[in-house]
Amino acid sequence: MTEQDAMPQQGSSTPPEHIRVVVADDHPMWRDAVARDLADAGFEVLATADDGRSAVARTRATAPDVLVLDLNLPGLSGAEVCAALAAARVSTRVLILSASGDHQDVLDAVKAGALGYLVKSAGREEFLAAVRATAAGEPVFTAGLAGLVLGEFRRVKAEGGGSPERPIPELTDRETEILKYVATGMGYKEIAATLFLSHRTVQNHVQNIFGKLQMHNRVELVRFAMERGLDLTDPT
Amino acid sequence: MADDAPTPAVAATTRAVLDDEHVIVRGLWRGIDVFRWLALAYAAWSTWERHEQIAHPALAVAVLGVLAGWTLAVTLRPVRTVRAYAIELVIGCSAILATRLVDDPGVITAGAKTIPSIWPTAAVVGFAVLRGWRGGLAAASLVAASSFVEVVEPTPNTVTNSIFGLLLGGCIGYCVDLARTSHEALAEAMRLDAARAERDRLARTVHDGVLQTLAFINRRASDLGGEAARLGAMAGEQERILRTLVSQTDLAEVGRAVSGDADLRGLLRHVERDGVQLVSPADAVLLPRRVADEVVAAVEAALDNVRQHAGDDARAWVLLDDAGDEVAVTIRDSGRGVPSGRLQQAVAQGRLGVSSSILGRLADLGGTATVSSGPAGGTTVEMRIPNQRTGRHPSRHHGRQPERGADRQADARSRGRGAP
Repeated sequence: MTEQDAMPQQGSSTPPEHIRVVVADDHPMWRDAVARDLADAGFEVLATADDGRSAVARTRATAPDVLVLDLNLPGLSGAEVCAALAAARVSTRVLILSASGDHQDVLDAVKAGALGYLVKSAGREEFLAAVRATAAGEPVFTAGLAGLVLGEFRRVKAEGGGSPERPIPELTDRETEILKYVATGMGYKEIAATLFLSHRTVQNHVQNIFGKLQMHNRVELVRFAMERGLDLTDPT
Repeated sequence: MADDAPTPAVAATTRAVLDDEHVIVRGLWRGIDVFRWLALAYAAWSTWERHEQIAHPALAVAVLGVLAGWTLAVTLRPVRTVRAYAIELVIGCSAILATRLVDDPGVITAGAKTIPSIWPTAAVVGFAVLRGWRGGLAAASLVAASSFVEVVEPTPNTVTNSIFGLLLGGCIGYCVDLARTSHEALAEAMRLDAARAERDRLARTVHDGVLQTLAFINRRASDLGGEAARLGAMAGEQERILRTLVSQTDLAEVGRAVSGDADLRGLLRHVERDGVQLVSPADAVLLPRRVADEVVAAVEAALDNVRQHAGDDARAWVLLDDAGDEVAVTIRDSGRGVPSGRLQQAVAQGRLGVSSSILGRLADLGGTATVSSGPAGGTTVEMRIPNQRTGRHPSRHHGRQPERGADRQADARSRGRGAP
């Protein structure tokens, strides 16, 4: 999957200097480059981590606005890090950054609570815009991710609404329509114009789509984390 | 198949055949070994029971002795080769013919049993296992021919026994053929699976090292500008190609081997390049091979269209959406920003010709294609293909997933047992 699409223009009202970030990547070169880019652009980089467990521990200790998370860290997968943070009720928002478009891994991370996904080949401005959007709580929704999410809803519907203990709600026709527009590279503005909706309404729909996909039930997240032997006790 | 150990050729062949054989075939071999002894006991008992009508008892004992000797030999050292079973078949047929020397013609015409009785059947079944239904029938024919020669005037018993022999050889041979075919299909599927696992392992290695480095070079080089930026762009291009290559969840081969369906994601991978993005679900989008090929041709036509008419800087997205009872493929381009009357203009530009070729293909598949343009410009072609497959493909192969999951879980358990 290549993410050649520019991220839809999203609000960036929060001044970057107030956005606090933790960067987790096992590749030292990348970790430093990303941290430097963020610092140069005025973000505050609180900590860096080079494996899944330290990513969870440092994020819990510093409670940043955004965790920039490599999808394939040693120790814990991206999905497991997201689940551990959500289960521990950390309010930090997670932006997944990955060198590969490993479809299922991306989907798992988003279901476990990641707010967006960007491939590492994305441009710097695109990346910084994505961190701002994530900090503002707006899903970073590229065409590729939209295609995965659409496929996941199709699969769940075909299998009869997910597992019994966790029924995944179906998308409305309007949400499916918007998802398909995003998946074919349309920005929110363009979608709004096509459907005669306001920009805000389109954003709400997108957030609802994410909400339906993600695990919100704490019991479920805790079980997900415990099955993988994650320690949810206080990091201190 | 090959056995490297410096063992005698015959033993090596035997072991190779045994190692390679299907479990049903191995069961049949064991059955033959047991049957041979039972048949020998039956032959001895039959001979004993009618010993007073036998003209040359010593010869009868000698024939039984040869049979017993062979039975013992192949029990001690089983040799499942055509040569060994040819020898057994010759012994069996000779024993049948030798009955002519043991008994008076009158006794034989009255319908007396042959000395080996059912013992040659072991060789018939052996040939069925070795050479399928043809081998079984050929061996049974030889045994039947010997019986007819032995009795001179066929008795009802001779006819019945021969027919049973032919049926046995043919049926067991046919079953073995079926077992072998399914065994080969299974082995092929396992081989594909192993190949995929290996590629996934390589993909992970490439991802962790090469891709990261190329992406990094691209990123840094664009900061430096000038010559470095050009080098960086080259690294970026290679990174994109390599990433597409290693992140492919190519289920096409396995899908075809199992169901004859093809994964549209794999078939459309080649359309992805700068400016064209393939957007697909995490699971395979399976269509019958013939249908999938037509869809690919239609998508290629639509993308040709984009290339020719939407302007040089236009970008395109190809979305695959498997809604269960139908598969939708949407091709949208960002266009040149012609806001209205685009379709009319398209007609004037001769694009309708291409559109109708897309429409024609889809109509042949029982599907539909619609062409529309958005208010902000750009053209959308939506193809809908009905999918008669009963239910979705249930399996979710993600190659490395099980292996990694297992690793992680084992890893996590060893460290984190103290979780609350």
